[in-house]
Amino acid sequence: MATEVVIYACQQAVPTPDFLRTQWGQEHIRLQVLPEPCSSKIEAFQLLRTLATPADLVWVIGCAEDLCRYNEGSHRLGNRIAYTQRYLEEIGLESARVGRSVVIPGDAPGLAAALADIKAKAEALGPSPLKKQG
Amino acid sequence: MIAVIPFPPKDLSEEVLPAKYHIPVRRVPPRLTTLAKTTIIDWNEGCLRCQRCVKEICPVDAYKKRDFDRKQFVDTIDEMCRSCYRCVQGCPRELVFKAMNPQYRQLGDDYYTPEIIGATWYQAETGKIPVSGAGYGGVFAGEGFDSMWTDMSEIVRPTRDGIHGREYISTSIDLGRKPMFLVFDESGNLMFEPPSLMELPLPVVLAEPPLGANPLRLRQMLAAAAQTLDAVALIARDAVTPDLMDAALSLVPQFPAGQMDLDDPLLSKVRALELTDHPEVISHLEAVKQRYPQLIVWIKVPGDLRAPDRVAALAAAGAGVIRLAATEQARGPNEAGEVHLKDLIRRAHLKLVEHQLRDAVTLLASGGIALAEHVAKAIICGVDGVIVDIPLLLALECRLCRNCQSGQGGTCPIELDNLTVKRGAQRMVNLMGAWNNQLLEILGAMGMREVRRLRGEVGRAMFKEDLDRDIFAPLFARPEGASRRLGE
Repeated sequence: MATEVVIYACQQAVPTPDFLRTQWGQEHIRLQVLPEPCSSKIEAFQLLRTLATPADLVWVIGCAEDLCRYNEGSHRLGNRIAYTQRYLEEIGLESARVGRSVVIPGDAPGLAAALADIKAKAEALGPSPLKKQG
Repeated sequence: MIAVIPFPPKDLSEEVLPAKYHIPVRRVPPRLTTLAKTTIIDWNEGCLRCQRCVKEICPVDAYKKRDFDRKQFVDTIDEMCRSCYRCVQGCPRELVFKAMNPQYRQLGDDYYTPEIIGATWYQAETGKIPVSGAGYGGVFAGEGFDSMWTDMSEIVRPTRDGIHGREYISTSIDLGRKPMFLVFDESGNLMFEPPSLMELPLPVVLAEPPLGANPLRLRQMLAAAAQTLDAVALIARDAVTPDLMDAALSLVPQFPAGQMDLDDPLLSKVRALELTDHPEVISHLEAVKQRYPQLIVWIKVPGDLRAPDRVAALAAAGAGVIRLAATEQARGPNEAGEVHLKDLIRRAHLKLVEHQLRDAVTLLASGGIALAEHVAKAIICGVDGVIVDIPLLLALECRLCRNCQSGQGGTCPIELDNLTVKRGAQRMVNLMGAWNNQLLEILGAMGMREVRRLRGEVGRAMFKEDLDRDIFAPLFARPEGASRRLGE
């Protein structure tokens, strides 16, 4: 069963989403990259619904909090991620299946490192328990 | 004595006027969430829970109907939002604002821009002319067809008001070789059998797009749409499968260069066919005419720098219909890559005029016909009709991601496999209905009653490059070597 990863990518942090797709290189893990105007576009319920599709890992790549174009966006997203992770723990799912990475806009090595981190997490977590339930 | 003539005249049949061409449009909602140009960013944290929340008074109830599309992972509020900014301006904590949607900007490519794709989706859904309202937000001029401005001098003339005027505006064209003169005997009978003509009610031929995840289904939709429109669909011969035979009269099979079998059973079922230009094409044309006198033969000529001379030579040799083929970006192939289709058309048209053959042949153009206005502009430049392909695929909600071309047909985001032929065909019909209405509006604004009269009427348009060269360059010219500040 193929692993599926969904990345919501802030367009400031990831100006060219194709970079993530070409750097991914993992054929056994399917990647979907969705560019967003800001990481704060993503709400907690959207993260949960994405996970429920079922996706195996849902990740948000945003800007460092003090560099957010909309000042508070990245910080707000951080709170939502924390809330979503607590929620997942409450319902018995691994909280690590949702998370975020912050990068400095324009920092390509930083972005590549974040992507490598996401890949490692996806490999380590494996398919979502929701898939096993059918 | 005063004669009283009853009206309507009783001795005339009911069908005094010819039936007006009507395209049956019917709303076909999209299967996927439409990607909007702008997106709402809605920060809930810190919300005051106002008694009269601005979200509750949204004119389109976007917040109430809001959902999350789990197939595309998009917020559905964006396709409903009309950008009135009531919520943005009204929220006391300024928690709602709008931003450009990067997923929208990712649509299409350099030629098929997100704006073209979005407008095509709207027309395919509704069959209506897209209206932007609140002023025109686009560029005033650009390259290619965008450098042409069409005549609007008669727009205040109510009787010829496009789709609503009392006078008919005909969008019909005739495909085929036309005799330059007629010869009658003493009894008034025509002394020769004129070549057959095919009348199309719309100066648009449908064609199979060069991409698409489910070509078989796509062709079925094309054939069905062509039947509904009373038009024809251009499809490669080897792609004409038995399931399309019911629509044979609406098909134009296209044969590769030098590959045509006179015993092909399809030739007795269709009204026209297309040959690809090659050195022996005229002899093939003659052989087809000999065996199938009623068939209309088209010849496809690449729109390169040799095209004008080749078109003239083919016309002189007896060709009836010639298609000038450009690339998907409306440019000539190979060394003609810098030349836009509009200039290729003008050159071919004028070459035929020069050889006094223009009225004898039908000239069609294909490649890069992306908008309704391109139909009228191409005809102004000199063709009789155009061939449209990619917009028909866009009508099916295609995003032009081109996954199908990269061999990943299984990952078509619009799941063409799940689109029924009836639904897809209706969306194509809707698009052509919207284009037809726009053509009527353009003709009405010019005061023209027939699209045939628009052919080659460059006086009905202004070309920016001509204005720049003839008017503005002399006006703003400075003596050579003069400093920029001279004259200020």
